[in-house]
Amino acid sequence: MSAPQSRFTGPQPSATAIFYRNIRWLRFVDRFGRKGQAAMEYLGGLAELAGETVHACLTRPFYPTEVLTQFDEVGVKSLSITGITAFSTGMVLALQTAYALAAFGGKMFVGRVVALSLLRELGPVLTALMVGGRVGSGITAELGSMVVTEQVDALRSMAITPVRHLVVPRVLATVFMLPVLTALADVLGVLGGLVIAIVQLQMTAQDYLTSIWNQLAISDIMSGLSKTFFFGFEIALIGCWNGLKVEGGASSVGIATTRTVVLASICVLVSDFFLTKLFLAL
Amino acid sequence: MSTNPDPASQTPPAPAGKPETIVEFDNVWKRYSGKDILAGVNLQIRRGEILCVLGPSGTGKSVTLRHINGLTRPDEGNVTVFGQSVVALSEEQLSPIRRRLAMLFQGGALFDSMSVEQNVAFPLREHTRKTPREITETVAEKLAMVGLPGTQRKMPSELSGGMRKRVALARSIALEPEIILYDEPTTGLDPVTSEKIGHLIVDINHRVRATSVVVTHDIVMARTVADRLAFLHQGRFQFIGTFGEASRAGHPVLMEYFRAMGFPCGTGLVQVVKDL
Repeated sequence: MSAPQSRFTGPQPSATAIFYRNIRWLRFVDRFGRKGQAAMEYLGGLAELAGETVHACLTRPFYPTEVLTQFDEVGVKSLSITGITAFSTGMVLALQTAYALAAFGGKMFVGRVVALSLLRELGPVLTALMVGGRVGSGITAELGSMVVTEQVDALRSMAITPVRHLVVPRVLATVFMLPVLTALADVLGVLGGLVIAIVQLQMTAQDYLTSIWNQLAISDIMSGLSKTFFFGFEIALIGCWNGLKVEGGASSVGIATTRTVVLASICVLVSDFFLTKLFLAL
Repeated sequence: MSTNPDPASQTPPAPAGKPETIVEFDNVWKRYSGKDILAGVNLQIRRGEILCVLGPSGTGKSVTLRHINGLTRPDEGNVTVFGQSVVALSEEQLSPIRRRLAMLFQGGALFDSMSVEQNVAFPLREHTRKTPREITETVAEKLAMVGLPGTQRKMPSELSGGMRKRVALARSIALEPEIILYDEPTTGLDPVTSEKIGHLIVDINHRVRATSVVVTHDIVMARTVADRLAFLHQGRFQFIGTFGEASRAGHPVLMEYFRAMGFPCGTGLVQVVKDL
């Protein structure tokens, strides 16, 4: 009776096969390393720009006219998109909440759920995502075009620092306008829920608003609004950095714009988790 | 004969009595994507002259120009402007030097969001304490100098290519700089406008008593404006001198370049120089 054949027996891989298998691994490690290096360089560049921006915010010269222009660009011109988003979200939230709570006879809690969801989470995050899409991409496209047409070099050649003249106004405007937009979005979202409560759920406005008023704490509003300062800083910084780093022609501007929307959205969503943990711990 | 293959002695020190050197390149190297664009460039630019930098495309003429105002930094070597090295200076430290320089970019680089008046007034608002009325007067004066009076309210998008370059020129000379850098000022323009720009460069150089460095492919314009030529090829200045010296030098690459540009060379070039 012969011994059972070992599964390890058989033709041994040749030296050439082992070499190519190792090469494949090396290539993978190399590619991984390059991607990692690029990511680290990107983060390093962002951190450097953040440092320069904060320094430029605190030292002369200032460009108040530019800042005011950007307040209009970032804030006033984003009102409609963030308002419509918040209003429709509030309505949808009221409908879904009422549907879920109907089984437990909890329709009277609709206002409370809508308000808490909007003020603590959906208002800040959705507004930041909409502003990230509209403002972040706009900043990248504008600065990228300025780089391609040598306008940024023209600024530098005139002894004007692009960070002071271009980055600081956009960062300040986004940081300070995003909380304002969020506050307005919160109000509109609650009003959207009110419309559904009255029209669809046959509640009175007083019931809806009283349920919100009785349960809402100032910390609910502040935790939501506080996050938006960070979101604004991230969006503007990513938009500016991607714009200033454009190389080549118009297609590079398009690629950079897309990258800004993707990165700004990811940053908002990821940092939202950590900021929420932080504010809950405080 | 000005042909000088040895980069170390491309520009011999100016003898006593000659104009002072305002910009100096000392063994400057610059590499892009593994290729040496500038490979040990040596150049001295004298105060008050108009130096035209010629050379085939992609040889680093614009890169050379951008080293003067610190927009590009060399990998090796030194660039001295007004007697101060600009290689290791930060953007903030470069500011005082950049205020004494101006650059005309290839596409004009006018700010799209500003009117002609705001573009020309921009450096005045940033770096002078002039009143709004004085700024308005200066803008009108500079626009008149470049032959565009009354265009203050126009937007850059309403201007032709030649007009954009002239507005950019007005912006460049607004602060009356000591050195004006021109990056291909006539590229894309018709011959008549090119000639106007050429005359404008000479006129402005005399009026504001500036030193001009002109990067160009336009040999006809170079013939009109240049006090000296600098021919860049294979990362080094293969020839630096006047048109007359160029015709006598008979540098083979330079002659080939002139021929390729449709410019008479050899005895023809001598004749052209005599006609100047």
